[in-house]
Amino acid sequence: MKADVIVIGGGHNGLVAAALLARGGLKPLVLERRDILGGAAVTEEFHPGFKASTVAHLLGPLRASVVHDLDLRHRGLAFIEPEPRVFAPMPEGGGVCLWGDAGKTAFELRKLSAKDAEAYPELHRSLSAISAYLSRLLVLTPPDIDRPLRGPILPWVGLGMGFRGLGREDAQRLLRWGPMAVADFASEWFSSEVLRALVCGRGIHGLFAGPWSAGTTANLLLQSATGDGNAAGTAVQVTGGLGSLIGALTAAARQHGAEIRTGAAVERIVVKDGQVGGVVLASGEEIAARAVVSSADPKRTFLGLLDPAVLDPDDVRRLRNYRQQGMASKVNLALDALPVFRGDVPSEVLRGRIHVGPDVDDLERAFDDAKYGGISRQPYLEATIPTLSDPALAPAGKHVMSVYVQFTPYALRDGGGWEARRDEVGDVTLKTLERYAPGLTRLVLGRQVLTPVDLERTYGLTGGHPSHGEMALDQLFLARPLIGWGRYRGPLPGLYMCGAGTHPGGGVTGAPAANAAREILADLK
Amino acid sequence: MAVPMPSSYDAIVIGGGHNGLTHAAYLARAGRRVLVLERRHVLGGAAVTEEVFPGFKFSVCSYVVSLLRPEIIRELDLPRHGLEILPLDGTFTPMPNGDYLWRMSDHARTRREIYRHSPLDAEAYDEYSKAMADMARFVKPILSMVPPDPLSFDVPGFSRLFAMGRRFQRLPRTDQHNILQLMTMSAVDLLDQWFETDVLKATMSASGIIGTFLGVRSPGTAYVLLHHYMGEIDGVFRSWGFSRGGTGAISMAIAGAAQEAGVEIRTGASIERIKVRAGRATGVVLEGGEEIDAPVVSSSVDPHRTFLKMVEPGVLDDGFLSEVRRYKLRGSSGKVNLALDALPDFTALPGPGPHLRGAISISPSIEYMEKAYDQAKYGEFSAHPYIDMVIPSLTDPSVAPPGKHILSCFVQYAPYKLREGNWDEKREAFGDAVVDTIAQYAPNLKKIIRHRQVLTPLDLEREWGLTEGNIFQGELSLEQLFFLRPVPGWARYRTPVRGLYMCGSATHPGGGIMGAPGRIAALELLKDWKRGKVA
Repeated sequence: MKADVIVIGGGHNGLVAAALLARGGLKPLVLERRDILGGAAVTEEFHPGFKASTVAHLLGPLRASVVHDLDLRHRGLAFIEPEPRVFAPMPEGGGVCLWGDAGKTAFELRKLSAKDAEAYPELHRSLSAISAYLSRLLVLTPPDIDRPLRGPILPWVGLGMGFRGLGREDAQRLLRWGPMAVADFASEWFSSEVLRALVCGRGIHGLFAGPWSAGTTANLLLQSATGDGNAAGTAVQVTGGLGSLIGALTAAARQHGAEIRTGAAVERIVVKDGQVGGVVLASGEEIAARAVVSSADPKRTFLGLLDPAVLDPDDVRRLRNYRQQGMASKVNLALDALPVFRGDVPSEVLRGRIHVGPDVDDLERAFDDAKYGGISRQPYLEATIPTLSDPALAPAGKHVMSVYVQFTPYALRDGGGWEARRDEVGDVTLKTLERYAPGLTRLVLGRQVLTPVDLERTYGLTGGHPSHGEMALDQLFLARPLIGWGRYRGPLPGLYMCGAGTHPGGGVTGAPAANAAREILADLK
Repeated sequence: MAVPMPSSYDAIVIGGGHNGLTHAAYLARAGRRVLVLERRHVLGGAAVTEEVFPGFKFSVCSYVVSLLRPEIIRELDLPRHGLEILPLDGTFTPMPNGDYLWRMSDHARTRREIYRHSPLDAEAYDEYSKAMADMARFVKPILSMVPPDPLSFDVPGFSRLFAMGRRFQRLPRTDQHNILQLMTMSAVDLLDQWFETDVLKATMSASGIIGTFLGVRSPGTAYVLLHHYMGEIDGVFRSWGFSRGGTGAISMAIAGAAQEAGVEIRTGASIERIKVRAGRATGVVLEGGEEIDAPVVSSSVDPHRTFLKMVEPGVLDDGFLSEVRRYKLRGSSGKVNLALDALPDFTALPGPGPHLRGAISISPSIEYMEKAYDQAKYGEFSAHPYIDMVIPSLTDPSVAPPGKHILSCFVQYAPYKLREGNWDEKREAFGDAVVDTIAQYAPNLKKIIRHRQVLTPLDLEREWGLTEGNIFQGELSLEQLFFLRPVPGWARYRTPVRGLYMCGSATHPGGGIMGAPGRIAALELLKDWKRGKVA
């Protein structure tokens, strides 16, 4: 069999790449190892009658151009943009809501602290301006370090002008904030602990780092730039769970002429005379192609699917040192009824993200545990209750609570490994939630715990890392995944990357794939 | 408009530490009349030697010479003024299991020692040393560079940056990769890529945290590691070592050079405030009311002290002031100085010997280091701290009575802000924790202590003027380095007040006995004078 282009992995990035390549006139073939498409963006029935976006539960959000170019809205994709966007419960009851409307948020914050209420709109303005600027960087292919002046120069001139256009204050902030610890960033703006912790949560989300780790503000800025720059962050969901997004992407890809095969695990990438020529499947079947595009993570792609002999030993060493240790687990709960949070919290405020971890030091302590290879005794949680906006995910009157749990390190120091300790994560999650929503445990009809090792085995995330590698300053932009490989091309002609291990990184955004597709089309057309 | 009073000085330098003195010396050598005002009775700031106990002379604060710029040694002819650097040979790390790691300046012996712990690491050590030397060579020019201002059309600044960019681009791929990691990674992450021996990594990573409020696993510490590595390869004049007569001798040598060039120095002269008229510095007022006029005032003290205490409220705009307030000082270390009747006897390598002539490091494992940091994060001093000790009396007997010794211990972590209690109550408990920790490795220690001086971050602030006890006059974290040090937009030694300059460790390239900030600031000021416009 022969294909134009093979795309390894039918996750959202793989499908976005395939759809855009097909739309650009190529004939891509997508090969997915599992029997269902979606990778970490899936809707699965985790308990009889209960469905959830089992791994990722929020959109990045999706890049607008992807939605537009692939006409996803007309293919059944319906976004849910809940308000408030985030709710942070407090152990003594009640909590703080952040709304899309900064004025409304500021008004609500007045009951917390007049000073914080005053600071919030300025943070919102500044973050929006900086995010708008940074978002222009996210759509660009990082420059070629050896020949930085090659290729279109205009976007870079524009970016330089844009930097000055930010004005002195915001431009200076951007420079200063990048390398900062998010705990410092948060305390520069706010005095109330819970608000600081909310900001910190965004800084540490998906990182093997605590709020006092340098560089965590960069993570927050990247997230903001991916979203709309709102100081509240985003909480975009999809009706039917993320599986619906995959449905829409699959339809778009097929309509444009892509072929998609599931249950087709790629065993290795074929290299002949230094040129990539196709793949061999686990079944032994060999498929030839002009080019191979991998949406798998860099370690899997280069260390798992290639014969190491074709790589420079220095590159192999650099890849081995690419930091990709997962820190998060996922706990999905089938609930008999809606949980009740302390202090008469109305259920309407639970539609967005629920940030659990109202104290910066506690977030740091959660990280401390993981640092020494232990499961956090009181982890940072980000929960959603998708059934509030999308009741069809559960039987009538019942609910689904989807809980992202950080920190649970991939490499456990002791205790017989993850197989023996899976339930611990479920227990510690419920125990933590109980502090805010007493009685929750009694509502649990069923639970699914996905540890970092499950994320690796079932969903193919090497090291269990949700973003295909730590989003740290030395693994971003033209150094993602490695310096010199930042342009969606590795060292082998005909092999491309389009996953979260490339610029601009993780999240259900389609952004790396959209950038990669542009580069691949430029090479192959 | 009032006619400015004629003054007898062209510039007043606030603070007689090594940077203030260096700054003054360079100005005077260019023919300017300069007055240095030091609050204490003795010169040197934190680079000072004091006879704390009769016959025992301590480098009270800063205790080893790390990065003193060779061009300053050369240009100010410091050896002629009495500077003599004695080599500090190696680092000895005793371990709880009775073993030790002893790295010496003799590369071959160090390799054999590391081989004893891990043959693989002995191999890696060579490669690592070479890689670090390459990195240091690349980064070094930054130390004598005036930071560009990314927000103005600063053509020379940009061309220097551009030239660095070109150099970066021409480096081999692995070097590019290493530099990028160095700038952003944690010391442990970086060392993990090279080595497997825990104690080796722990001891090496320690230089990444000295003086910072960061742990060995905190991103950004790899850079500080390099910062300390740069001293080790400074060619002609070995710059890792003791100064004969203590670190105060360095300050005295610089003061000698300054005085020879005509600088006037007054000690016991505490500044009450900097006089500003119509947005321009016109001189200083001393405590007690004496006024001294000069068209230029250069401050070598930290920005909090300079702008929040010495400049009257209302002179500076709120935006600038809030940036200054944001500048993080955050002291994290203390100092314990011990006068000893005899030498400490380490269980791991008993008796006197060359291992006592270098640095002795209490850094037995990465986890030990990181746990010490964890306590500080939550506002406690480390019960089992990281300690870097030297016994200068072995190399330079003049600092202690015959047969006696001094043990100078740098201790981390000791956070300035304690969650419970205050440093006046906890000073001795802190001292006890340090002595107990060392005594675990050298059991005779408690018996041989004749005197003990414990300096907490609060003491460093009160006595030496280091705000919050920060030994570098501000964290060496990425957001406070280069064109962001001390605050964005004002990293070029000038300030919003015309005629007021900064020349201390709070400016690029930062802390340590380096002298570079004082020198670069002087060269910038001289340029302004030459152009006839004091900024």
